[in-house]
Amino acid sequence: MNETSPIPPRFLTKRELKSLLGALIREYRAYGPVDSDGVPAFSALTSSAELRFDLSPTHLSAREFLLPSKETLLKFDLTESGPGVVITPVVEAQPQVIIGLKPCDINGMALMDSVMAAGVRDVNYLKRRAATIIVGVECLPDETCFCASLGTERAESGFDLFVHLLPTRGVLVRIGTEAGAKILKKYAWGRKAVKAEIVKLEEHYELKLGAFKARLNALPEELPGVLAASDESPVWQSIGSICTGCGACNHVCPTCYCFDVSDELSSDLKSAERLRVWDGCTLDDFTLVAGGHNFRKSRAERLRHRFNRKFNYGSERFDSLFCVGCGRCSRTCLVDINITEVTNAIIKEVKESRG
Amino acid sequence: MPYSKRYKVAFFSMTSCEGCQLLVLSCENELPDILTHVNIVYFREAMSEKSTDYDIAFIEGSATTAKEVRKLRKIRKQAKIVITLGACSSTGGLNRLKNRFKIDDLKESVYGKEALGSQAFDTKRVRAVDEIIEVDHHLHGCPISKEEFLKSFNDLLLGLKPHAPNYPVCTDCKIAGNVCVFKKGETCLGPVTRAGCSAVCVTYGSICWGCRGFVDAPNIAAHTETLQRHGMKKEEALSFLSLYSTGLTGKKEKKIVR
Repeated sequence: MNETSPIPPRFLTKRELKSLLGALIREYRAYGPVDSDGVPAFSALTSSAELRFDLSPTHLSAREFLLPSKETLLKFDLTESGPGVVITPVVEAQPQVIIGLKPCDINGMALMDSVMAAGVRDVNYLKRRAATIIVGVECLPDETCFCASLGTERAESGFDLFVHLLPTRGVLVRIGTEAGAKILKKYAWGRKAVKAEIVKLEEHYELKLGAFKARLNALPEELPGVLAASDESPVWQSIGSICTGCGACNHVCPTCYCFDVSDELSSDLKSAERLRVWDGCTLDDFTLVAGGHNFRKSRAERLRHRFNRKFNYGSERFDSLFCVGCGRCSRTCLVDINITEVTNAIIKEVKESRG
Repeated sequence: MPYSKRYKVAFFSMTSCEGCQLLVLSCENELPDILTHVNIVYFREAMSEKSTDYDIAFIEGSATTAKEVRKLRKIRKQAKIVITLGACSSTGGLNRLKNRFKIDDLKESVYGKEALGSQAFDTKRVRAVDEIIEVDHHLHGCPISKEEFLKSFNDLLLGLKPHAPNYPVCTDCKIAGNVCVFKKGETCLGPVTRAGCSAVCVTYGSICWGCRGFVDAPNIAAHTETLQRHGMKKEEALSFLSLYSTGLTGKKEKKIVR
């Protein structure tokens, strides 16, 4: 999945791109960004005409397609006579293609991949990931996007194909994997991109970098230290007091992977299923344990944990920040807790206290 | 099987539309199985037989008359486990709107002037069941969630304490993949309302009206401000927030209606 391809970018006409996307939608279960009641959202696709590559990041991330909000992990048959119940693992992994992932989401998916492969491998996720084809699309930031502050504004790997819409006619397609090359050869091979077209990519990145309105006032490598020094900051109290603990920031995040597991028994008490459902560290009962003890008592503590989870805790184990700057949490928050504003407030405090 | 005895189960109605009991009856696929594990001994909406010998009592409806209050005390004396069935019994539900008016004004407008001095019209302020007797578990919602009812039933058979989610409907909404109603220019009570309904109203194009009551620690102040930022006056926001209930169980009414 992650091998770099020696094949240089290909040039496709708009018509060739359309036939490529049309073929993918025909041949696979395909998902991509559409306009849903005026809100960008991933949706199952029936035609390439539904796709919108000019919108802000979708309201939910694409993690739904790899880590479904609800899935069955095991089935239990309790009728079997003998010493134990019969347990059958359930792994559903249909071939699928996700079209229109932006660099932030591609980088976020790479983080999810490393988490799910670490320690006990998450078979359900990894099989689904292996059956997934990613077609990335280049983008421009909206007023909330801040990936450039985290170095996630470009995707160098983690995709099978990556489409750059050129300002004039046609598109450039970068090839990330052999599977991507095969697909392109099969449906729309186009021609080799010429130098003048490849130069356009760098021009686009320059344009993109200049277009960000939201920025973090620290370098990515400074952030773990800043967060580690922020435990006593009054900022946590101030955002904790307006937080409703609704969990939306967790659920829209492309790198949040926490889940809850429960066993559901059928009404005849003869079979059961083990389900996993999305969970989130900002929910009041996330840290509720036996005996009624809750070890993160307030919403301030929970938000502090979440920010540390994004900008600090991942850095040691996975050598990466766990925020990709998509801005979804800021867009979804009904009490306007904005991730760049909060982080900048923390950065300011910590820098001032250090003198 | 991991249960030791056949429970005797009763269903009771207080002031309500009896829709939650209808929902129990609509579990047509599951009822035959349920009936192999428990005996339903009293269920006015479904059977003619009666019994005063029961272990588990499901109670739908809120208490609005002295007779209902007496009935509830009697149920508590007999039942080992009392479970409320739906919004009216769990929080007072829509019935609670009555408490915004003077009882005599309501009596007069519904029954006429003659009702005022008459003992025949026994009507009181609306109370949730747990404002009168101790309740072991609340099944929330208007109506209840079928899945939650069946799950709670299984929990009882296994000797487990049934559990209601303590997170807001927003989580159910995200799990359902819904676009936030606020992004569509509407308002709702999702951020302070107890989940467990699979966000069914938003999924089918409506908004969250808060029928399941509040989570344990609702941030009413923050959500009032959110509603105001989305075009409501403060009084409208508070009225909206207290439409179905005023708290987890109804006990918190005074705190919220300021």
